[in-house]
Amino acid sequence: MTARVSRRSSLLTGVLLLPASLWYLLLLVAPIIIVIVFSFGESGPTGGYAGGFTSANYADLAKNVDPFLTSLRLSIVGTILCVLVGLPLAYYIATRAGRRKSLFIVLLVIPFWTSFLIRTYAWLTILGPEGLAGFIGGVFGDDSWRILGTEWAVQLGLVYGYLPLMVFPLYVTLERMDRSLVEASKDLGAGRWATFRQITFPIALPGVITGSILVFIPMIGEYVIPNILGYGRVFTVGSALVLRFLEARDWPVGSAQAVVLVAIMLVSVTFYVWFINRGRRSRDVSML
Amino acid sequence: MADKDLEEILRRMSQTKVNRRGFMAGGALAGMAAFLAACGAGKASEAPASVAAGTPAVPGSAAPSEALASVAPAFSQEPTEGHLWMYNWSDYVDASNIEEYKKRYAVDDFTYDTYASNEELLTKLQAGAGGQWDVGAPTAEFTPALVQGGFIQKIDWSKVPNAKYIDKQFKGLWWDPNDEYQLPKDWGTTGIAVRTKYVKEDVSSWKKFFEVAPNYHGKIVIVDSPGDVFVAPLKALGYSVNSVDPTELGKARDLLMGLAPHVLALDSDQYQKKLQTGEAVLGLTWTGGLDELIQDPKTADTKYIIPSDGTLYWLDTWVIFASPPHPIAAHAFLNFIEEPAIQAQETVTNAYATPNDEAKKLIPQKILDDPTIFVPQAIFDSGLLESAKDVSTDKLRVDIWAEFKSKIGKA
Amino acid sequence: MTAPATPAAPATPLVAGRDLPRGRRPARDRFGVLVEIWLRGHTWLVYGFLYLPIVVVVVFSFNANTRVTNWTGFSLHWYEFVLNSKEIQRNLINSLIVGFATATVSTIIGTMAALGIQRAPKWFRLPFDALTYVSLIVPEIVIALSTLVFFAVTIGKNGLISNLTGGPEIGLGYHTIVGALSVFNISLVLLLVQARLANMDRTHIEASFDLYGTPWRTFWQITFPQLLPAIVAGFLLSFTFAFDDYIITSFVHGTNQTTIPLYVFGALRKGVNPSTNAVAALMLFITLAILLIGQYVLSRQARRSGTAGPAGVAGMIVEQQGA
Repeated sequence: MTARVSRRSSLLTGVLLLPASLWYLLLLVAPIIIVIVFSFGESGPTGGYAGGFTSANYADLAKNVDPFLTSLRLSIVGTILCVLVGLPLAYYIATRAGRRKSLFIVLLVIPFWTSFLIRTYAWLTILGPEGLAGFIGGVFGDDSWRILGTEWAVQLGLVYGYLPLMVFPLYVTLERMDRSLVEASKDLGAGRWATFRQITFPIALPGVITGSILVFIPMIGEYVIPNILGYGRVFTVGSALVLRFLEARDWPVGSAQAVVLVAIMLVSVTFYVWFINRGRRSRDVSML
Repeated sequence: MADKDLEEILRRMSQTKVNRRGFMAGGALAGMAAFLAACGAGKASEAPASVAAGTPAVPGSAAPSEALASVAPAFSQEPTEGHLWMYNWSDYVDASNIEEYKKRYAVDDFTYDTYASNEELLTKLQAGAGGQWDVGAPTAEFTPALVQGGFIQKIDWSKVPNAKYIDKQFKGLWWDPNDEYQLPKDWGTTGIAVRTKYVKEDVSSWKKFFEVAPNYHGKIVIVDSPGDVFVAPLKALGYSVNSVDPTELGKARDLLMGLAPHVLALDSDQYQKKLQTGEAVLGLTWTGGLDELIQDPKTADTKYIIPSDGTLYWLDTWVIFASPPHPIAAHAFLNFIEEPAIQAQETVTNAYATPNDEAKKLIPQKILDDPTIFVPQAIFDSGLLESAKDVSTDKLRVDIWAEFKSKIGKA
Repeated sequence: MTAPATPAAPATPLVAGRDLPRGRRPARDRFGVLVEIWLRGHTWLVYGFLYLPIVVVVVFSFNANTRVTNWTGFSLHWYEFVLNSKEIQRNLINSLIVGFATATVSTIIGTMAALGIQRAPKWFRLPFDALTYVSLIVPEIVIALSTLVFFAVTIGKNGLISNLTGGPEIGLGYHTIVGALSVFNISLVLLLVQARLANMDRTHIEASFDLYGTPWRTFWQITFPQLLPAIVAGFLLSFTFAFDDYIITSFVHGTNQTTIPLYVFGALRKGVNPSTNAVAALMLFITLAILLIGQYVLSRQARRSGTAGPAGVAGMIVEQQGA
């Protein structure tokens, strides 16, 4: 009886997992493997892949390291900005908003939920010659002041787009924090800054790390925001990949760049997982 | 009527994936509409009428409707499938011509998908997007690659009698020596655009272009097309635009990297606007859209210069994709578009030179005389213009292009 | 800032919340007041920052003028223009098809996988979980180009399938778009439902078994209703991501499948344009409507089945982030 049940049960498990597994295998694993294979190949006379095995493409990357640097720079600064902007916000919602917490959260989700592309596009109006740039030009008489097309516009767009992703985990962490610890600290004579540094921040830290990863990873691979707000002048890894694959049809080199990009992300995530697990063992306050 | 035109223009201008030609056509279309509105032309949907109404004296043209009748297809046109699926640069076919085609051949499903570059077209076709479109207009030098990939099919010339109007100069060229796969659409050059009000130097050559660039830091606009951009340094150095020689490319690279910090933007779609507002005063561009600037008194100082050290001339060609879903409609379209009056309308709208001799007779003299659109034969004969080969996949070129792109505007 | 005078520490250690006076702050804590003001101001500023673009797009889509920022009066002109445009109608339909198809596929497969994964043996679960995370981490652009390459190699002109069957290629189309978009979304639904499963109240299930309920009935009457919030949230989220997607769609679409994001992106290259504002505002309204419907459905569901789902869909997302 048990054998029959467990076999049927395995069958059910298999059926449940089959579609997802197929999907992953066909549309995730297989494409990535193909890209890895291509990254060691050579390109044909009219582009595409033409077989072969060479590590020249990776060697080439050393020459083409600019887009990676740009992307890393934008992502690191973007992540830091997200923490700086997001932490006070999360703290406020978690500790000061009282019964209206849910409302605040919903108000945070709405922009995040509605079209990403459109919100980025809106910044074109706000920052453009008819918006901020025009305003500054009028006030300071400097007609050629521009922010669109510079890295700062892209930076703004990145922070804007991913801020909620930073706030959510921060909020969750802070919300679970035992408030009386803060009060105890204050009543024991610690100043605000000391309290923050020794109580609040360490508790919030796992949330900060989680939020950072949630924000950093997508930022590196962003293509739309640098393209729209950067006017194509801000050349990121995304732009480089599009150039290689669509314009130059140089699939091998493009594949090598893609592999390196994914490697960077995997390394970041591995570091994150390690950090979180390390934290889990040594901390007994707050959870993630 | 002007209102409807404006809407039509905005509609066309909002189509996806604009590229250089699309943008220019859009701009020209806007100019055309304004022009028509001003002249109080009647139904804009009748191509011959609008051409005639717009310009009082068209040399060599009989009453437009007669001209139309005289070149009506002499062979018997089979009924079409009722659909035509086009995959083309955006805004590259005159809207009223499309309407005319739909009416005449009972095609009520005319879809117009767009690609932004020849390379994108090739990539999409390679990925299996074939069998989904009927006609398109890639640039000539890509014909061999398209044939090799089996992406285009031979044209059945018996169904396209109007092809006989194509100038012999465009036949039997290296990309299609037996003229089996393509029908020339239009051609043009890549050159230097200048706002002479702001640029005092005489930028008559690519060499000069590079020399004066630092004086206009942050005010230079360049089309986002590697094949065209490489023309500048290679010609300035006296090499072929199709060079893949590492030494030559190395020297070209140096020139390009020197230029990069001074460039405002790589822009195939809005360079005209940037030149108009003075945001850019110097450019490496095509002719599209510049006409309008030259005619506007506020920007009449705009000039388009064919550099004295030589440049590229390109030719876009109509092709029929392999396994087209609607071959009859496809051939009918090719035949239709080469009707002199129709083709003339195309030229007026797109502001690019036509290879169709009969059509030239119906084009306003002003356009025919415009050396930026119809480059004088003398220049052709002098060997100043080189035709492009598809070298877009050359590794060194791609690397230099990527490097150039990443250094734009950086100090 | 000086510490307040406190009583001498008692012999036994103080316990917060019991021995220590609560909420007592020094009388003149000016710095504290400043901090409070700053916190509140910061919060309002951030919300303003977040909503500014949305407000701008919506407001100017009602502008009667053709210049984007010159306000000349309220008008529905651009909406009329946009909605009457055959091209935009087609793009909208394409977007809706892509959105619903992807959401449906992802939700069904993702939910099944969430149910199955907890029964799976460890040797399977580990790599499967890894794949789930990989699909969420890999940037969209890499997914886009790798699936394009994959399609080229298999269903493309000179691809595997063509060579094997000797027939014409399958090519790109709705199936490729939905297929590629679903990878990420399946993982999304999977995580949401998994989180809910983990947090679910097991006692009901146990009770059901104790009362001789069959596994099938137990599932449908107990488990499924409790999972419904997560499933609905997953469906809505998938729809929004698919509806709004640009990169993957632009890489793997075939004829006639231009979607609204593709249209907007293309229109952007020509500069900001009032009709694009109307299209943009439409997109915002649609995605917002989806969110509100989801909130409504979930809160009704929550009230009915007594499951506590904080703030509906928003809560799902936040919960997921924290989990």
